[in-house]
Parts: sequence; structure tokens; C-alpha cells
Amino acid sequence: MPPRLFVGVDVGSLSTDLVLLNDQGKVLSEIIIATGVNGAEAAEIAFDEALSETELTRGDISAVTATGYGRASVAFATGKTTEISCHGVGAHQLFPNTGTVIDIGGQDSKVIQIDARGRMLDFTMNDKCAAGTGRFLEVMADRLELDLGELSNPLNLEGETAPISSTCTVFAESEVISLLAKHTPREQIVNGLQRSIVNRIWSMVTSIGVQGEVTLTGGVANNKGLVLLLEAQLGRPVNVPDNPQIVGALGAAHIALKGYSQG
Amino acid sequence: MMNIPNRKEYLQQQSQSGQQIMGVLPALYPREMLWAFDILPAEIWDPPGDILHANAHLQATICPVVKRSLEFILKEPDIINAGYLFPHTCDSLQNLATQVKDLIGVPVPVYSFYNPKGEFNRTTRQYYTDILGDFQTILEQQHGSLDRKKLSTACKLGHKIDSRRLELQNARMTDRLPLSNSEYFQLIRAGEYLQPEDYLKLLDAISIPDEPIPNDKARIMVSGILPPHPDMLEYFDDLHLSLVADDLLAGSRRIPRIKLDPPQDPMEYLTERFFLLPPCSTKAGSLDERFRYLNKRIGNSQAQGVLFNIVKFCEPELFDHHLMVKALKDTGIPVLSMDTELQGGLSGQDKTRIEALGELLRDRMVS
Ligand SMILES: Nc1ncnc2c1ncn2[C@@H]1O[C@H](COP(=O)(O)OP(=O)(O)O)[C@@H](O)[C@H]1O
Ligand code: SF4
Repeated sequence: MPPRLFVGVDVGSLSTDLVLLNDQGKVLSEIIIATGVNGAEAAEIAFDEALSETELTRGDISAVTATGYGRASVAFATGKTTEISCHGVGAHQLFPNTGTVIDIGGQDSKVIQIDARGRMLDFTMNDKCAAGTGRFLEVMADRLELDLGELSNPLNLEGETAPISSTCTVFAESEVISLLAKHTPREQIVNGLQRSIVNRIWSMVTSIGVQGEVTLTGGVANNKGLVLLLEAQLGRPVNVPDNPQIVGALGAAHIALKGYSQG
Repeated sequence: MMNIPNRKEYLQQQSQSGQQIMGVLPALYPREMLWAFDILPAEIWDPPGDILHANAHLQATICPVVKRSLEFILKEPDIINAGYLFPHTCDSLQNLATQVKDLIGVPVPVYSFYNPKGEFNRTTRQYYTDILGDFQTILEQQHGSLDRKKLSTACKLGHKIDSRRLELQNARMTDRLPLSNSEYFQLIRAGEYLQPEDYLKLLDAISIPDEPIPNDKARIMVSGILPPHPDMLEYFDDLHLSLVADDLLAGSRRIPRIKLDPPQDPMEYLTERFFLLPPCSTKAGSLDERFRYLNKRIGNSQAQGVLFNIVKFCEPELFDHHLMVKALKDTGIPVLSMDTELQGGLSGQDKTRIEALGELLRDRMVS
């Protein structure tokens, strides 16, 4: 009998990520594409890409779990689960000692506590605004005329920081404009922006507490400077997956596999 | 199913038929006294519509209950012909009362009712009886002498409503109420504007089976000022999450904890009734007592999780919230807190939070 195959697809505000697993939990394909204006279509494209990469057809797939803010729009999904549960399961798969997951995505950020089996114990999620999310960094990158890679340069922790007092995107943007007008070096502004996100995340972390190892997921985990600052603030090292954007989809694929095997 | 008259249409009809209607702000007030003066209280919690003029009079960090109430009052609605009543619920409402009375001015009388706060003892009981008497005297200046018989009848009617509400509440906690989340809270909130006789008829029309109705939904207790927005209640229904118990100011915090004896002396009865209301953040009582009460309610309803539906910037609730959440989480029960602006649809983030709570509870049910 051919192995059974499972898909997790995470339709996020900025990226649509897909993971294809076999029934042993081995990853056969990982796809990340921009969500664009149509999440349903992005999911279809990602699915087709994964299938053509592995020379499979849709009929070969046993179950698909959709997650992310566009989870309800995925026509080929057989089930849906929130990204909160999926990031927990995904982080547990990659780092089994994870007790706390911090996910910083494009439009929201979350702190999730999980148990030794990867099941959610508690969670908190940011409010409706973009404070403490990837969107915040994108707006500022645009304002500073930097790309996201430049915005994520590891920084000198002892170095000078431009003070950005607001975590709100709109207010912080006007602070950045006045700092630029005062010819503040851009590295200092970048440092200040990263601190602003870490401060926002820190307030969420303190509201539910930290337990076990901390794993950072979501696209913002690619921002190396921010990771260093977060580690300094938490006072402990943070696990960063090779591909942090894919963790939600990985968790979704494992949920599809588990759901299928439990009937 | 239930046939609940629309709030606006009902009040318009009442007003057209010559009924005196008083606009009452949240939350605890002697409704029986108003009924006895032939006044229909129409409670103002979250009137719909855009906030256009109220912001000019209020700080940005005032709760939407106050903002929406002021917007409503500024429109000088015809239906409110017997004045406004501001119970002393919180500082924001107290300040609003002052503004409406002294600064803005309205064409109808403005009344206050200073509920006692803090720990309750014999002195506070006497104080409560005294303010009931004062309130009677003030109303008599506008509406003539109080008919004691009418007050007695009003108390009997109030007693029947409370008793029935208590039965329905208990039935809901024990799976014997065939109503969805949306239907249940619609029923509860109809008491904010219906004539007591009409409300009692509505409550009595609900049948309570002897045996529990099979219920495999995840069970949640909701706490806060108001029930979640109707869109959110429907979403709970869609997700098979049942709000089996409430600790809401607009809900169970206004019903005495136990069934009282039928009223004999009206003033004594009203005083007794007030002191038998459950603990509430707006009464600034003991936090320990409030926690014990919540815990007991969770036990009685077998709730598996708690939802705090927090009105944004609500000072009394926010004061208690942090400690209640911590104490409840320490008992191992999952807690979700959500901010509400009262109106406006359900955001994607709200949906994700609710779904995630459902996933967490279901995960626990299977393991
Ligand atoms: N290479 C990178 N360097 C720094 N930040 C990045 C990088 N790639 C993505 N990001 C950040 O990740 C965010 C997107 O995260 P993602 O988890 O894909 O969000 P969503 O799940 O909402 O689509 C972007 O807003 C951006 O700030
Ligand atoms: S919601 Fe809170 S702050 Fe607002 S009126 Fe009610 S008790 Fe007062």
C-alpha cells in the first residue's frame, strides 16, 4: 500500500505556507508564497506547486488541515484548526522541549503555552492593531527605505538606540520621521524599532508567563536583531527554526495526520 | 419559538399609548419602585448607531457604555418622557450624570441613586432603606403620592420575575433549557425594556424539561458587564460552545442568589433583595468573596472554561479582572479575555480566539 500523505496549509496575511508530510511525519515538501489579495487562490497555487515538486496528484493526499486567517477559504481542506493550536504542535515537532511559543506573523502575534505533548495550555494574542507584528516592521522599513533583510541586521546590544516610545504603528511612524529629520543614524532607529516590538511582545509574555524552552515562530523570527533583543529580554536562549514561517503549516499537517490516524 | 418584541418598536408603542418611560443607565436600581409609580424603566446599555456628538463631551478613555448612552441622550429621544436615572455604578456614569444634569441639560428630570459600596453590614442596610425612602420622596414630587398597594403588587411581580429567572438560570446550568446562546441572552435582555407583566409571560412561556437534554458541547461561563455581541453569540453556537452560566452585570448579577420569601413589607423586601445579589465589581466588595462565588458557579454549571467579555476601559471590571483571571487560572481552568467595543462585527482575531478556546477545551475533553 502506498504511504498515506498529509498536507497542512497556513493562509496568512502575508505568506501562504504549505507542508506535505508522509505518514511517518517526514516532510516531503515545503512551499512559501505570497498570499496576495486572494488567499483561496494562493492556497491552490501552493498545493499545486507541492504536488508537482513531488510528482503527486490531489488524489494521493489523505487529509488536509487549513490554518491561518484565511483557513475558511481553502476549498481542498478536509478540516481547519486555528494557527494558535498549529504553531503549538509545529513548535513541539521541531523542538520537543518547547513550553512557550512566541509567534510573530504579519498581522498578529501570539504567545502560546504548550504541554509536553504539544497541546495548548493557554494563549494570548495581540489586539486588532499592528503593534508588535511584522506589518509594523514593514511600514517602518518602507519609511527608512530599507529592505526587511537590512532591517533585521544583528545589532550591537550595547550600541545606541533611538528612543521609539510608541508601540502603535501610526505614532511610531511619525516618531521615525522626526528622528530622520534630526539625522539620527538609521541603525539606531532600527534598533529602537526592534526594541519597540520586543516591548510589545514582552507585555504579552508577562501576561501568561514563560515555561520550558521558548521557540520563536512566524516570519519575524527571521529578524536576527530582534531575536537577540528578545533573548536578552527573556534572559534565556530562544529556539529559532530554520524556516520559522512554515511552523504553522507543519503543525497543521501533523494535526491532519493525527486526525486521520485516530479516524 | 420565542416571540420577543423589538426594543425600539415596543418602546415607541408604549410611548404612543401614553406610558411614562424613564431612561435608566446601568445597572442596579429599585425597578419595583418605578413600576409602582406607573413608570416603565427602559435601560440604556449599548444603543446602536454611530458615536458622533458624545466624543466632544468625553475623554477618549471612557467606556463605550457611557459614550453610547450619552449619544442616545443627546438625541433627546421623545420616548424618554419621565427623565433619566443614573444609579451609582462607577465614576464614569456618575460624572456623566453630572454632565447631563448641570452642563448639557435635558428637557426631562435627571435622578441619581447612590447604591452602597464596599463590605455590607447593618449600617449599609439601614443606608439602603433610607435611600429607597429618599428616592420615593423625590419621585413623589413629580408623580404624586406613592400608592403602597401598587408598590406591594410591583414587589410581588418582581419576586415572580426573579424566581423564574433563577429557575431558568439553574435549568441552563444543568442542560434543561432548550435555548441557543443567542436565544438565551435575547430573553435575558428583554427584561431591560418590557413591562413586567409582558416579561413574566415571556419567561413563563419557556418550558423546562425534567430531564437534562443531551449536551456534548464544550461548556463556558461568561463574565463581564454585558453578554457578547449577538454575532459572537451566534459564532459560539456555530462552534458548539455553550455559554452555560453567566456572571454578567446585565445578567445574573442582578438576580438574587437564592429565592426570597414572597414580599410582605415592600421596603424590607427591596432591601433584602439588594443584599442578596451576587458579588459584583461595581459594588467594590471583597475580591475573595467574588472569587469564591465564581468558583462555585463554575462547579455548579460544570463549566470547563471562562470567558471574560470586558467592555473596553471599564474601570470596575478591569480592577478585578487581573486578580480573578490569575486566581481562576491557578485552579487550572482555562480563561480567555476579550475586549469589546459593544458594536461592530466579529473580527478575524476574535474568531480565532474563540475557536482556539474551543480547541483547547475539546482537547481536554478527549484526553
Ligand atoms: N527575511 C526576513 N527578514 C526579516 N523579517 C522577515 C523576513 N521574512 C519575513 N519577515 C517578516 O515576517 C512577516 C510575515 O510573517 P508571516 O509569518 O509570513 O506572516 P503571516 O502568517 O501573517 O502571513 C513580515 O511582515 C516581515 O516583517
Ligand atoms: S461598562 Fe464599566 S465603566 Fe462603563 S458604565 Fe458600565 S461599569 Fe461603568
